[in-house]
Parts: sequence; C-alpha cells; structure tokens
Amino acid sequence: MHRLGFALPRNSMSRPLLRSIPELRILIYSSQSTAKAAAGTWTKRCITTTSTSSFTGTSAQIEPTNAPPPSSSASVGTQPDPFPTEAARIAAASVQIPQSKRLPPRLPTPAPVPLKPLSESVRELLPALRAQHSHYVTVHIHGFPYLVTMGDQLRLPARIPGVVPGDVLRLNRVSILGSRDYTLKGSPFIDERFYECRATVIGIEAEPMRVEVKKKQRCRRKTTVRNKMRFTVLRISELKIRTVEDIEADAAAAAKSS
Amino acid sequence: MPIKAIPKISKGQNGLGAFILQCRKLDFHYCDWAGSSVGMNGFIKSVLPKFAAQSPQVEITVSPRPKRHPHIIGHYVNGKQKAICVKNMEPLEILKKAEILRNASGEKNKRVLKAVTSRNPSVRGIWSPYHGKPLVV
Repeated sequence: MHRLGFALPRNSMSRPLLRSIPELRILIYSSQSTAKAAAGTWTKRCITTTSTSSFTGTSAQIEPTNAPPPSSSASVGTQPDPFPTEAARIAAASVQIPQSKRLPPRLPTPAPVPLKPLSESVRELLPALRAQHSHYVTVHIHGFPYLVTMGDQLRLPARIPGVVPGDVLRLNRVSILGSRDYTLKGSPFIDERFYECRATVIGIEAEPMRVEVKKKQRCRRKTTVRNKMRFTVLRISELKIRTVEDIEADAAAAAKSS
Repeated sequence: MPIKAIPKISKGQNGLGAFILQCRKLDFHYCDWAGSSVGMNGFIKSVLPKFAAQSPQVEITVSPRPKRHPHIIGHYVNGKQKAICVKNMEPLEILKKAEILRNASGEKNKRVLKAVTSRNPSVRGIWSPYHGKPLVV
C-alpha cells in the first residue's frame, strides 16, 4: 500500500530528486516519523514533566531521557517530527532555553524535598483557612506571578511550546495561598504538599497583527516589521488546599520510601 | 405569595469541568489545476490523515474548489469561521496553519492587556474604612 498509488523505488531515488518533487518530500519526513511511535491522541491528558519550569511537582510518568530527541535521528537537516509522541513532546518541552542563556541549572525534583516542620501558626490556622468559602492563590509561571481563583482564565504572555488544548498542567510554584481572613505565605514558595493546583490549556490565541513602519525623515526608504504574538490560554480547573494530617502523612511516606 | 427561585443563568467555563475544543470543523479546499495548490495536494495526501487522527474532536472535510487558491476554513463552536489561504505553501507549513486554526477559539483576535480574566468576586472583599487595622495619625 503506497500513498501515491504506485510503487516508488525510494531507495534508488536520489535525495535531490526526492526533494525536488514537493509531494515526495513528505516521504523523507514520514520515513523518520514511522520509526517512532504512532501519533497519540491529545484529548484531556495529564502531562507531568520533570522540567525546571513551573508546571508539575510530581515525578514524570514518562521518562524524558528515553524519548529520542528529534534532531538526533533526522537525516534531512533539522526538520522536527510534525507529529511527536507524548513522550517526545514532554522531552522537547522540558529543554527550551539554550545552555548559554540559562541560570545555574536547578535539577528537576523527582526526589521529594523533606518537609520543614510545620510551625504553630500553620497548624492552628490552616484548618481555618481551608474552612473559608473562597480562596486565591498566587502562582508563578516562568517566574511571573498571577493571582488566580478557581475558574479563572489565564492568558500567558507567550505561547508555551509542547502543549496542546486539552492538556492539564499541574502548577507547583505558589507563593501565596489566601482566603478572606487568612494568608499563607511561602518563602519564596509554599511546599507543594500543601495544595493541588491544576490548569487546563483551553487554546492558543493570537493578537491582531502588529505592523511597525520604520522610516526616517528625508529618506525615502521604509522598513515594515510585522509581528503576531501567540498566547497560551489556561483555565484554573482545580485549587485544593490539603489538611495538616494529609501533608504530614505525605511527607512521612516520602521520607520512608527514600 | 409563593416563594420563587432566583433565576440563575449558568456561565460556561470551558476547561473547569469538561474541556471542549472550540474548533468543531476544518474544511480543506484544494485545486487539481492551480500551481498554488501543489503543496495543499501533497498535504492532503500525506500529512492530513495523521493530523486528523490526532484531532478526533474535529470534523475534517476535503473538497475541491477548482480554479481557486487553496484554503483552510475553521468552523467554531460559537458559530464563527476563520479562513487561511495557504497558496504556495509547503505541506508542513500548511500543517502549522491547520494547527493554528485547530487551537484557536472563534473569537476575533484582540489585544488583552490583563492576564487574568475572572468572574469570581474578590476573595478578600472590598476595602472599607471601618474595618481592618486603623490608620494611626
């Protein structure tokens, strides 16, 4: 069975010849993608990464290192696989910033951080905080703080690579957890065992095209710069504060297993 | 007098409970004669089946539109449409445009300066001069 309806001596055809026919160029790209797993569905999955970004606190269900990076197996230039598997998406999403621009690397946190002993004020007031009827949280995504409540729509200032609408992100950098009368502040972040905060990616929106015309006086030459930014839009779908007993039980279980 | 319930209109918050992709249909129009549609023809033959398999929520139709440039038209849940002309594009470029249409909502592109859009009343309440810590002069 062949897509073009006739047998093609692919091995005997030279690469320049393959590339010269636009339809056949697809055969070069697809020969790499068939080597990898078939394309997966992307409705309503939960992705967890061990990246240093603010998306998850739990350990990865899919090991990023096992997924081959697209560029290593590509035989034609640097074309990435247009239909990456979920593992490949996670691997690609977790390594975005070139090494030279990075701050000193922080290792991802698959090993749980030991829980600091809870202070008296936390033990006494966390149940009161939980009991109040509405809560807000200040989540940090790529370092930027956003004060959100449950059900809010959050438009990030850029497009996050590696996510598609329907993905559920677990936010693990929270600096303030509050209600009407009580506020829990982390220094700088609250321990991840205190809460569960999830956001669903609901779309990738764009802004109207920005057109900047650059022209100097008494010079007829003009340069036009066009730019259209894309933004990932999230919906905060879950915001749960856990009890003191659950937090300590979690920490004890983690300490026992490590 | 009989007690009446206060009417409350439910407000849609996509993603809060269930998530529904806003793009419900994508039309791919191609032409067998036009040179600008060569990339689109290649896309339909080789890339579109995989794209369609990855997007099971989206209805995908392929139809010829003779003597015209190739287009992708997205139909959205709010009843609006977005069209992108993909003349003279390579199959992978057309895939990018198809993904843009699939991931978008039907709303017109607009600049949004505030990151957070919320319908909930403020958690800490509106400031009042009679409550809280008094200002000591």
